[in-house]
Amino acid sequence: MFKKILVANRGEIAVRIIKACQEMDISTVAVYSDADRLSLHVQIADEAVGIGPPPAVDSYLNMDRIIEAARTTGADAIHPGYGFLAENAGFARRCEKEKIVFIGPNSDSLELVGDKVRSRQTLEKAGIPIIPGMKGIVKDVAAIRNEAREIGYPVMIKASAGGGGKGMRVVFREEELTSALEAGMREAKSAFGDDSVYLEKFIEEPRHVEFQVLADNHGKVVHLFERECSIQRRHQKIVEETPSQALDPVLRAEMGETARKVMEVSGYNNAGTVEFLLDKDRSFYFLEVNARLQVEHPVTELTTGVDLVRQQIKIAAGEKLAFDQEDLEQKGHAIECRIYAEDPHNNFLPSAGKILYLKEPNGPGVRNDCGIYSGWDVPIYYDPILAKLIVWGEDREAACQKMIRALDDYVIMGIQTTIGFLREVIGHNRFRKGETTTGFIQEYFSEWKGGEDSDERTKLALLAAAFDSIQGTSEGKGFQAAKKETYTPWRSLGTWRLGGK
Amino acid sequence: MEFEFLLNDVLQKISIEKKDGRFVYSDGEKNEEADIRYISPHEISVLIGDVSRRIFIARDKDCRYVFIDGRQFVVKEPAEEREDFHKGDARTPEGTLLVKAPMPGKVIKVIVAENDQVRKNQTLAIVEAMKMENEIKASVDGTIKAIHVSAGDLVDSDKPLLELEPS
Repeated sequence: MFKKILVANRGEIAVRIIKACQEMDISTVAVYSDADRLSLHVQIADEAVGIGPPPAVDSYLNMDRIIEAARTTGADAIHPGYGFLAENAGFARRCEKEKIVFIGPNSDSLELVGDKVRSRQTLEKAGIPIIPGMKGIVKDVAAIRNEAREIGYPVMIKASAGGGGKGMRVVFREEELTSALEAGMREAKSAFGDDSVYLEKFIEEPRHVEFQVLADNHGKVVHLFERECSIQRRHQKIVEETPSQALDPVLRAEMGETARKVMEVSGYNNAGTVEFLLDKDRSFYFLEVNARLQVEHPVTELTTGVDLVRQQIKIAAGEKLAFDQEDLEQKGHAIECRIYAEDPHNNFLPSAGKILYLKEPNGPGVRNDCGIYSGWDVPIYYDPILAKLIVWGEDREAACQKMIRALDDYVIMGIQTTIGFLREVIGHNRFRKGETTTGFIQEYFSEWKGGEDSDERTKLALLAAAFDSIQGTSEGKGFQAAKKETYTPWRSLGTWRLGGK
Repeated sequence: MEFEFLLNDVLQKISIEKKDGRFVYSDGEKNEEADIRYISPHEISVLIGDVSRRIFIARDKDCRYVFIDGRQFVVKEPAEEREDFHKGDARTPEGTLLVKAPMPGKVIKVIVAENDQVRKNQTLAIVEAMKMENEIKASVDGTIKAIHVSAGDLVDSDKPLLELEPS
């Protein structure tokens, strides 16, 4: 087993991986940019190495600095997390050359599945169902326009080098193509350091269903069932769950088998995810392989009882998978909500700034994978994910109820977050019925402006502010009482009773 | 004691007095009584009759946050003739609109030039924060009078990006 692992990431996922290492008695090295000196992952690691200025291209994407950090600290393996260098075959190859174990797939397989166009061709030959799309990467706009015509609008522009909604655009008409391409390529460049994009047919009203796979270095490949990730905003997943409401045991077995085959054909090892689109008629299409630990991996962990990060580390160290496909089963239901630093009352604009107070929810079946703390400044340079709230219940309804309770108990003050919005999504009757498609947010929440405040809450807020002003505390002085009578158009709320029915 | 607060930008008034260890307060029409205690500097327990509520509070330079049942309120002191930069575009004395970034970020591209005629909802500039691009659009038809930033600049949410004269 490894003695020391360098975690080449930041935020909640770095924290998650460092904790797994601590549990396995492996020492840890964090890396950080100048903007992350005070981030949580730096504080909990055994060692921490600065790797450059805030922009990711100068730090978390800077291979030289990261390799150098691994060598000077004597780390024998690197866990890349998700995003940044996680799916960079060049980095995996570099690690192999430096005799540092890359905790992820081998570089050849990573290169194949990372090349969305080449992997599509390989898999199509192996009989895997594929969405109609471009046969190659073209940088010339006129050629892309011809491809789009051939595929037929609407088309989807996607970044060749990664996922996460970055660089992604849906184009319904030809006159929108050029500006969408420019924006997509710029976003792809800044997120992945590569502006290659490609087109595929945009399937309307699909569900996004993906299968988790583990493959050891000795040829054993198992799948750990599906995750449904249909609830998305701007092509970014925000709620994930398992099991999917759209699958029955027969379809689940068929898709799981297909996922295993995808990984076998690709020569894949370690943890990975096979994404499918499932259309209205329950036909499924291979979308892509996510050659990394996924953001939403915890819902699989809670329903299968398998610790995926621990498995990744064991596989990378050469151990054999200790279980077979028949040993795996799904128990109960798990849901994850991604907590973003975005303001749902203001068009979901990023909300950077100081977290003045944080109180995490807890209780049976509640897990919070969290990268923040009270007093931390959320930097503007990186993805706005703050934490992931994951719950487990014996069935879907119990999980929904638990999620709502946990969201209500989640206090993040000083910046705006998506917690209130997520509560409305989970509480929506269509969601409760399991009617989740990738168009869900657009259809039911495009006009959403934030919940109305009840008179009781408004009154309590006012009372708390007044109490805090006259009592004061050690922290800061209270506001001054109003000094003079001025005409004010303040809202008369009439008589009210707290907690009245 | 009388207080006026801007609660999520709505002006509200409350009077509150301490009496025998409890608090008597009024919204102007009716007196109520409450038992209010700090649990910690960030946590307040309120008992009104037998109704129990837990309220969280945090303080910043010029405002205070109150959090109740999953909802965050921003509490500010009302200032006379206060110019609220967060409510749409501010104006110069000549009536020109100051177009500002809605959040701190990095200017990716300025799409218009000085003296350009623009239509409402036309994209003027692109600002990136947390890896997402956000298009800054014209709120009215008009003419670009001045441009204060260029690609690569880091901007705060109160910095004017450009000036737009409504037509």
